[in-house]
Amino acid sequence: MQRDKFFKEIENLQHPNETLVKTHCSYCGMQCGMNLRVDTRSNKIIGVEPRYDWPVNVGKMCPKGVTAYQQTNHDDRILKPLIRDDKSLKGTTKGFREASWDEAYDLIATNFQKLQQAYGKDSLSVFSGVSMTNEKCYLTGKFARVALGTRYIDYNGRFCMSSAAGGFLRSFGVDRGSTLPWTDLHETDCLFIAGSNTAECHPTSMFRVWHVQERGGYLIVADPRETPIARRADVHLDLRPGTDLALANGILNLLIENGHVDEEFVNNHTNGFEETKELVKQFTPEYTSEITGVAPEKIIRAAEIYGKAPNAVVMFARGIEQQHKGVDNVSAYTNMALITGKIGRPKSGVATFTGQGNGQGGREHGQKSDLLPGYRKLTNPQHVKEVCEFWGITEEEMPQPGVSAYEMFELMDQKVIRGLYLLCSNPAVSAPNSNFVRKALKDLDFMVCSDFYLSESAEFADVILPAVTWSEDEGTVTNLEGRIIKINKAQEPLGESKPDWQIQVELAERLGRGKYFSHLKTAKDVADEFRAATKGGYADYSGATWDKIEKQDGVFWPCKSEDDEGTPHMFLDKKFYHPDGKAKICALPYRPPAEEPDEEYPLRLTTGRVVYHYLSGNQTRRIQFLRDMCPEPYIEIHPETAAKYDIEHEELVRLYTRRGEAMFKVKIIEAIRKDTVFVPYHFGHDQSINLLTNPALDPISRMPEFKACAAQIEKSIKKVH
Amino acid sequence: MKKRLYIELENCIGCRSCLAACTQCGGHEERNRNYVYDVNPLVNRQTMPLMCLHCVNPACARSCPAQAIQIHETGAVLSALVEKCIGCQNCTIACPYGIPKFDTEQNLMYKCDLCIDRTKDGIPPMCASVCPTNTLQWLTEVEIEAKQKQFNLDNGKWVTSMPYLENETNVKVNLPGILQGVTKLF
Repeated sequence: MQRDKFFKEIENLQHPNETLVKTHCSYCGMQCGMNLRVDTRSNKIIGVEPRYDWPVNVGKMCPKGVTAYQQTNHDDRILKPLIRDDKSLKGTTKGFREASWDEAYDLIATNFQKLQQAYGKDSLSVFSGVSMTNEKCYLTGKFARVALGTRYIDYNGRFCMSSAAGGFLRSFGVDRGSTLPWTDLHETDCLFIAGSNTAECHPTSMFRVWHVQERGGYLIVADPRETPIARRADVHLDLRPGTDLALANGILNLLIENGHVDEEFVNNHTNGFEETKELVKQFTPEYTSEITGVAPEKIIRAAEIYGKAPNAVVMFARGIEQQHKGVDNVSAYTNMALITGKIGRPKSGVATFTGQGNGQGGREHGQKSDLLPGYRKLTNPQHVKEVCEFWGITEEEMPQPGVSAYEMFELMDQKVIRGLYLLCSNPAVSAPNSNFVRKALKDLDFMVCSDFYLSESAEFADVILPAVTWSEDEGTVTNLEGRIIKINKAQEPLGESKPDWQIQVELAERLGRGKYFSHLKTAKDVADEFRAATKGGYADYSGATWDKIEKQDGVFWPCKSEDDEGTPHMFLDKKFYHPDGKAKICALPYRPPAEEPDEEYPLRLTTGRVVYHYLSGNQTRRIQFLRDMCPEPYIEIHPETAAKYDIEHEELVRLYTRRGEAMFKVKIIEAIRKDTVFVPYHFGHDQSINLLTNPALDPISRMPEFKACAAQIEKSIKKVH
Repeated sequence: MKKRLYIELENCIGCRSCLAACTQCGGHEERNRNYVYDVNPLVNRQTMPLMCLHCVNPACARSCPAQAIQIHETGAVLSALVEKCIGCQNCTIACPYGIPKFDTEQNLMYKCDLCIDRTKDGIPPMCASVCPTNTLQWLTEVEIEAKQKQFNLDNGKWVTSMPYLENETNVKVNLPGILQGVTKLF
């Protein structure tokens, strides 16, 4: 693998009585390389040492990465299966007793079978996540379809990556989150970054971002807040939350008007240019400004820079994706690259900042309600046939496609779904409209939760199974570049905890489906079956062996055979994955957010992240350093807006929407729009901003609109004058 | 080749990874020894690290009545020697940057030792190893000279090494800003 300018030969500090285990971080899609320090006397993980030779982050880590190792031997670890007999205590941490694995498995098997006999196969559901290895993600899909035989499986990527997936599939015919490796980024001439708080959510990208500016390149950032990356941008497009589609159309219009279209590329390698050109005509800088609130001259300048840049990369993240038009936003920003031909070559392209550690790989191999391994589709009879043959089941046995993550809670509410197996996710915090979601969980007939800590969602379970952390198992993860990497085991499982793949094999045996699972005795067994299952799918991992990953510093999919080195750059041959080999330029009419401000709810509420926490905070809120740095949520508000409400810095206010309310401490800052307030989402119970968010779903990706809804503030304590 | 800590303040994003990493250096008893400040928190998100600059003639050591603050041959100004420190806190007052921290329970000063376990063998300190923005870098003299030329400093001197501050420091800080003098590509 080629080393870039940031790579330096550095030896690690080796302490006596310690070994270093090369692996990657447990958290975000960057999957930063790190070494775990393991004490050779206790065989326990005791610290971290930089992994200077990993090409993506060259030793760098964010504060979450530095402290990630503290999860493994944390006092809060669940060490034995827990059973709660008193259902009236659901929704609390009370009433759990320790049990043996045998008792837990028996109880689960009995209840699952009872529910399926009484209400049919589809009365059970599986809700999973993508902060786990490809192997586990693959097996979870197989477990739902083959061991449980239910159609209802979906995962937390619906709250994370699904709009990017939907947009890329529509524009390119393939969903690989980045068309180029991260080691290209600092060499481009312009980064156009929309809806990504990169400095806080993917901090180890930042040395490459800043380097673009140091070379004289440009940084353009679209965000309602002046985030740490927007602070230094050449142009900060400070748009209203939920108006990205207008901004992208406006920029596209200017690119066309100002002659930045690559006609040769558009004519030979794309469809849809003419109707898109026609549609974006109305998005003049003035009209775009009216919708987005961004000054016309900024829009003009941004289009000029992107248009003139010899090479440019368009990047985005949850800011544009977590909207009820998230897929349209992705395709609309992707249009910029397609009409200018800035794609399919080094240093130019399109990328999403994948949120979860395995947000890319985890969505490709059958955890999604309508997908099967290798990105095959449940709606494609040929794909179903291939997977049925591979699994050894009949096509009649293969369940139909189910519904998306949030819609599963609706089916729980309607008593269509009565049982749940939850793993690797904490929807009681991360799903929108939490009051509804928590009630749906509480009213379930039977719920199993697999986790290594007692999360807010585990509080609703009848049985909690102790899972291992990432460092106690091995397997592959696909990072935000599309690079398949290897997580290595640094320690034996703590207490009686087990990896989720093993739990699923043993549960399948209890459910009488052992013949499809019992051959999987090690993580490597699962890996081999997983790779074989992807063969022939377009997310083909069959050539990505563990040896090759080690030798090449990871393998970019597609990688179709042992001789195939993988595909760091997509579309170098200008061939896209639609049947005619062309990419699609999409004509996308503007739609406002599902809920616009009005007299009763005059503010725009947007949500997001802080650098110290990951997802629902179930892990990071337990790490002392991270908790010290950010112990509670807050509401960011512009001083002029605060003055209107007569509220002061650090005062407690009531924030409410049509769905819920919560109290937050005020953080006054000029670096936010006056019409917008912001709250980070990593907190549970009554501190959760998702009590207030809007579950309006994108028609394609079924992504809820976390990023824009209408809200109002009430001063909680009246001032005494 | 001798390397130095070099700081480009404008790159800082306030992630405090340097502080988290400081606790991970074997000799640091899991306590961080430097600072990151919000420069103007009610206005914007600008932050900056405040690291020990390892002065060539350090005020902390000069002010110590017990000679508890030793200077390593690499130039690193070490943390107080446990057996010598009398807990008078002269050093914390003398340091113009307020770097030395004080442990009231142990009656002991502790400060950045530039991860001496690492840097004595040429391994970068933890803060500069992990800094995701290249605010903190571990550079050779040649690389630092190149930076100096690139940025056209006042009187050819690093601001932190001005006589009215502490004169020569081992750590170099880039002021006023790294984008000064950058020519745009187009």
